[in-house]
Amino acid sequence: MSETKSIDPEMTDEPRTTTTGESDEELRAEWTAYDFEGDPKLSVDGLDVHYGDEQALHDISIEIPERSVTALIGPSGCGKSTFLRCLNRMNDRIRAATVSGDVTFEGRNIYEDDIDLVELRKRVGMVFQSPNPFPKSIRDNIAYGPRKHGDVRTGLLAKLTGRDDAAREEELVEESLKQAALWEEVNDRLDDNALGLSGGQQQRLCIARCLAVDPEVILMDEPASALDPIATAKIEDLIGDLAQEYTVVIVTHNMQQAARISDQTAVFLTGGHLVEYGDTDQVFENPRSQRVEDYITGKFG
Amino acid sequence: MSHTDESALAAERTGTAQRLASAVVGVGLVTFVLSLLSVARILTEETTLLGVGLYDFLALGALAMGVGVVVLGVGSRTGAFETNPDDTPGLVTAALFGVGAFVVAGLVASQTLGLGTLGWFALAAVSFVVALFAVALTPEDIGSTLPAGGVAVGAAALVLGDVLAPGFAWEPVGFSATFTGAMVAPLVLAVATLVASWAAAKAYEGYGSRGRQTGAYLLVGINAVGILTVLAGLLAFIALKGVGPATQGFSLVPFEWPFVTNGYSYQPDIVNGVYPAIVGTVWLVVGAVITGVPVAVAAALFLTEYAEQGRFVGAVEIATNGLWSTPSVVYGLFGYAFLVPRLGGSTSLVSGMLVLGFMLMPLCLITSREAIKAVPDEYRDASAALGVSQWETIRSVVLPAALPGVLTGVILGVGRIAGETAPILLVMAGGLRDDAPDVLGSFEFTSAAPYVANDALLQSAPALPYQLYATITAGVSAENAAEFGWATAFVLLVVVLSFYAIGIASRIYFRRRLNA
Ligand SMILES: Nc1ncnc2c1ncn2[C@@H]1O[C@H](COP(=O)(O)OP(=O)(O)O)[C@@H](O)[C@H]1O
Ligand SMILES: [Mg+2]
Repeated sequence: MSETKSIDPEMTDEPRTTTTGESDEELRAEWTAYDFEGDPKLSVDGLDVHYGDEQALHDISIEIPERSVTALIGPSGCGKSTFLRCLNRMNDRIRAATVSGDVTFEGRNIYEDDIDLVELRKRVGMVFQSPNPFPKSIRDNIAYGPRKHGDVRTGLLAKLTGRDDAAREEELVEESLKQAALWEEVNDRLDDNALGLSGGQQQRLCIARCLAVDPEVILMDEPASALDPIATAKIEDLIGDLAQEYTVVIVTHNMQQAARISDQTAVFLTGGHLVEYGDTDQVFENPRSQRVEDYITGKFG
Repeated sequence: MSHTDESALAAERTGTAQRLASAVVGVGLVTFVLSLLSVARILTEETTLLGVGLYDFLALGALAMGVGVVVLGVGSRTGAFETNPDDTPGLVTAALFGVGAFVVAGLVASQTLGLGTLGWFALAAVSFVVALFAVALTPEDIGSTLPAGGVAVGAAALVLGDVLAPGFAWEPVGFSATFTGAMVAPLVLAVATLVASWAAAKAYEGYGSRGRQTGAYLLVGINAVGILTVLAGLLAFIALKGVGPATQGFSLVPFEWPFVTNGYSYQPDIVNGVYPAIVGTVWLVVGAVITGVPVAVAAALFLTEYAEQGRFVGAVEIATNGLWSTPSVVYGLFGYAFLVPRLGGSTSLVSGMLVLGFMLMPLCLITSREAIKAVPDEYRDASAALGVSQWETIRSVVLPAALPGVLTGVILGVGRIAGETAPILLVMAGGLRDDAPDVLGSFEFTSAAPYVANDALLQSAPALPYQLYATITAGVSAENAAEFGWATAFVLLVVVLSFYAIGIASRIYFRRRLNA
């Protein structure tokens, strides 16, 4: 990775100095160091991502606390989605992407060669920007992950050998749908095609599908950007509930949403730099970086 | 032409002009369909309608339309009808009328006036230019109605004036064909009524962009109806010829349908039938699908999901398209030279299955690839994010979503191979037989490798298309070969359409499972 590109031209052009005379660049380490109580669930250290020759993320270091909501905000194209995809190695699926740096989860760097991707993605689940249920029944959507992972055994062979987990699957489907606050709306039509649900329902179905494989971390990439205000409010409520049990990392370009639902906020700015990270209240009310303040108050971005 | 430039949002559809235009279009549709039926000789000049000979009846229809269309145009120009025409009917319309003028002038100059090549061409070219400019430079209402009316009236005059009478015959020099009045007259009338209907449709909406839209809609719609009519006519023709001989001796209770359940016994008092050929064709198609489709789908999966998209995939794609366009007799020759010597040394059912399977492969590959490519990447991402492996994703998400598209390919492919004659002629050729190939009953287990044998597969078997060909060319039992042939053709048609029906029904089933 060429180090020459790691400094954002925008930042070097006008090295904003503070009263103490230190540059933005030097202070960033301080602005993004966030002391929280408890253990970090995910620690990212010195993460660089390139798409071909273009560097999309520069030296990102961040620790994400357990059982909380961490919001990633920033103007579009600043690398939020790229960063999120690094956390469950979905970037592996993009041919042009190369990732370097450490992402530590459960004491292991997930970019080591012997990491089991199946296990990683089971434990670090993901919900996408636009709802993407499979063209299958609601039940099949939820049960898809557990079936594929052999957590529930169904089908002819299971029936013949008497190890059919139909009851267990039924339970799992109900539980996941309840957790995603969708059970009330769909419990009488579990065998209907999921594509017949409204956009907001589909997105909660995708969340339920993700919960069904029992993850520890849930990554969400602008999960409400394709939804109407009422559906958005439901998803926001749901995220608050999920944080009791799961570690939620959510990308959003909607600052009010970040302020409403998150415990801590990381601000990425153009060029792929993490500029500020801290308590959501602090970041929004009293940002340390002038550029972040400009962004939050709508002066640019 | 009282301009309605503050043009009403809702089109006024109740005026005299609208009623007249609707009447013209209505007469036009009837005349057009009757003309087509006459071209196909389903109706002939002997028919009389309302006491008038068919052709005169059609010509009167065209005449009425022509007059009606002219009235519509003149009425619009003089302000009798409220319309909103443009300055010109447009260059395309003008050019088409120009081409019409070219053809008419050329024919008149060369055939009636007897001018030489230079003479008729000069006259035709001048007519083209004159018509082009005349139409292009007149306002839209007159510009589209007068020429269209002229075409209709002219065509009617030719027929009514007995120029294009049934007795008319034209043998163009250099063609070994005769165009008779019985064929040409309805054809000319069909074109004329189409043109007049188009002009009336434009007049109905008061010209302008709304008029052009309706005119185009009418032409496209009639085109579609025309194609369907031709297809239906074709089917009806074969059915009419074939149903009679095919249902000889048919009874419902007790169920007896000798043509379909008998073989060809060469005995005078027993109805000869095509049962062996039906069974042979069904086995051929089943065998071809079993050998061709899985390989094609697997290849499509590899090329789409696994292979690096690059030069190799591009080359395979070109080769596949080439294979799909390869003439079937070439496949047959390959089978004859390569398969037959290796599979028992004589023509056989299994060679036929394999050759048809090879023919089926390229189309299934192409359509499966398209279907797999059309499966949204979001499904693959969603599955991968749940930690599901690529193969499991393909099996449980990608393939089910692509299945309707894959089936479309199989349906089209089966439609092609079920009627193939040329390769069958070379690799399977079974004559008229009394017994059907007993594929299921011929499986035998043997003590030595390969431990299973099937005699029926290694023998030649009859198939409907080849049998049809053989019947027609060889005239098996001279006195009713033609009848037997028509009946075979009819059964072949029914068999192929049944394959279609099965394919389409299963596609509907799988598509319904995918969509809410
Ligand atoms: N698949 C890809 N291939 C190439 N470049 C990409 C790809 N995805 C994103 N990028 C580039 O990486 C940068 C960050 O994109 P992204 O992470 O999607 O930003 P955000 O989610 O913040 O809008 C952008 O400049 C974008 O053009
Ligand atoms: Mg994004």
